[in-house]
Amino acid sequence: MAVKQSRVGHVLRWVVLALAALITLLPLYWLLITALKPATELQSVTPTLYPHDPTTEHFSALFGADGFGQNLLNSLVVVVVSVAVALPIGTLAAYALARMRLLGGSNQGLSLGILAVRMLPPVLLIVPVYLVIVSLDLFDTRLGLIAVYVPLNLPFVIWMMESFIRELPVELEEAAMTDGASRMRALRTVVLPLLGPALATTAILAVIFTYNEFLLALVLTATQRSATVTAGAATLLGRSGADFGTLAAVGLIGLVPIALFVLFAQRHLVRGLTMGSFR
Amino acid sequence: MRTATATNSLRDLWADVELPAGRPPKPAGAAALLTRRLAPYLLLAPAGVLLLAISVYPIYYSLRVSLESRTSAQAAQFVGLDNYQRLLSDPAFWNAVRVTVIFTVVAVTMELLLGLALALVVSPLDGRLARAMRVVLILPMVIAPLIIGITWRIIYQSTGPISYIASQLGFGDVDILGSGSTALPALIFIDVWEWTPFMFLILLAGLQSLPMEPYEAARVDGASRVRTFLTITLPMLRPVLLVALLLRTIDAFAVFDQVFAVTGGGPGAETQVLGLYTYDLAFKYTQIGYAAAVAFAMLLMLLLVSVALMQGLRRARRWL
Repeated sequence: MAVKQSRVGHVLRWVVLALAALITLLPLYWLLITALKPATELQSVTPTLYPHDPTTEHFSALFGADGFGQNLLNSLVVVVVSVAVALPIGTLAAYALARMRLLGGSNQGLSLGILAVRMLPPVLLIVPVYLVIVSLDLFDTRLGLIAVYVPLNLPFVIWMMESFIRELPVELEEAAMTDGASRMRALRTVVLPLLGPALATTAILAVIFTYNEFLLALVLTATQRSATVTAGAATLLGRSGADFGTLAAVGLIGLVPIALFVLFAQRHLVRGLTMGSFR
Repeated sequence: MRTATATNSLRDLWADVELPAGRPPKPAGAAALLTRRLAPYLLLAPAGVLLLAISVYPIYYSLRVSLESRTSAQAAQFVGLDNYQRLLSDPAFWNAVRVTVIFTVVAVTMELLLGLALALVVSPLDGRLARAMRVVLILPMVIAPLIIGITWRIIYQSTGPISYIASQLGFGDVDILGSGSTALPALIFIDVWEWTPFMFLILLAGLQSLPMEPYEAARVDGASRVRTFLTITLPMLRPVLLVALLLRTIDAFAVFDQVFAVTGGGPGAETQVLGLYTYDLAFKYTQIGYAAAVAFAMLLMLLLVSVALMQGLRRARRWL
């Protein structure tokens, strides 16, 4: 695309990119200042552009009276356990798909099938999953959520890990195996150590998706026993007379861990987020 | 670059791996052969079972429930196709279909056009600053859609900044979410804000992977920029465009979180999308059987759209 650039044109390109970044950030800035403004300032007729009298009163209300710490704890448990379980199961499957010939060479077909599972909208799952979870007596438990999130994380984990494993030179395992190592030993001693960064990237993205999930959390939880951050936020939304300061505080709590993760994982983030677009 | 580092660190590692020297390859006995043949399936089995449990089984279960009259998790009565018959003459269902189609078509089209324009404009920029700004653009894609909904609800509410600006500009008291003519466009705008970066990133990567030769040929021929875009860039980008379109369409069609947080389907049923209608039926009105039928109709519509887009994708691939 070596079109000759005029200097003005180049500056305009920067202006467009900066504008896009600004439009992206402005709503998030508004969320931040809303969370920090005292109730009186929030009710003023003329919205202020920054908190003139910053306060943490919304956060103390949230963690005090509303007991939102419990929601954070529930999210932490559910996210960590479901990602920790899905990661090894998915990686083994990914290895088989990437490296071993399946019956009739059906590897690619299977990968596409797994991708299709990922495309299934969660709305289609709420009725059957709710009925099954209730019949298993797992309604409003963290275990119930974990039982749903583990399989829901699998397509993504498999897809990511498969593409990472394919990038490793196959000769390394072959060398190990001709030296007498079994395939499992080659996987453990040669492949896995190289997959460290890949596993980390995949785990981070899976954590983000799981932490963000809302619809199934809404359907499968009822009380503080198991309600995650998003489910708890929905309760606050539904409460009549919910003040926007508290809502904004919830929003920030939902957002900050994710923003931090993004900074750590940005290198491979794009690949995971645009999953399925490139093969 | 990644592979290079991987190979290096492997060589270091290789030095430490002690493999029994001179051990002959395993004898290919019948049992060993069987194990080797079965190995991939053993590795796939746990994931396979779980994946079936979250896809095929729920779909089968939905189909069964959609043939029942169910008002609770326990009480069920087989009613055959009654739910589907009801669906065909249910104005609320058709309203939800209409709202969902408008939402999806308008939002995805705008995201595609804006994302493409942004990718074309920005693709020559490089360096640390450009990368930093692109990271900013990733943010809306990784923040929970529910949280994004909450953010925009705060912005759209009647004492919020947009209503204030509108009143300063002389539009009087504007209640964006309370009026049927503005609530749906407001929701569409959120989706565009949230997902244009996704289109942008996919198309940017697509643009940057295009071969240079056709462009050089076009320059030699003295083709104009517009002509180069229409005859080279667009056709070569078509497969990527269609996949991006497919992913976004499936997502937008099943939108739930943002609508739940911002309007809850209101005012009236002006923003009642199919996802929200299904949820309300099942969990507000406890018409679980009927909700399953609506969800199934939604799955059918999605399949139709996906097949149509995939067909377009295949044709685009063949064409190239």
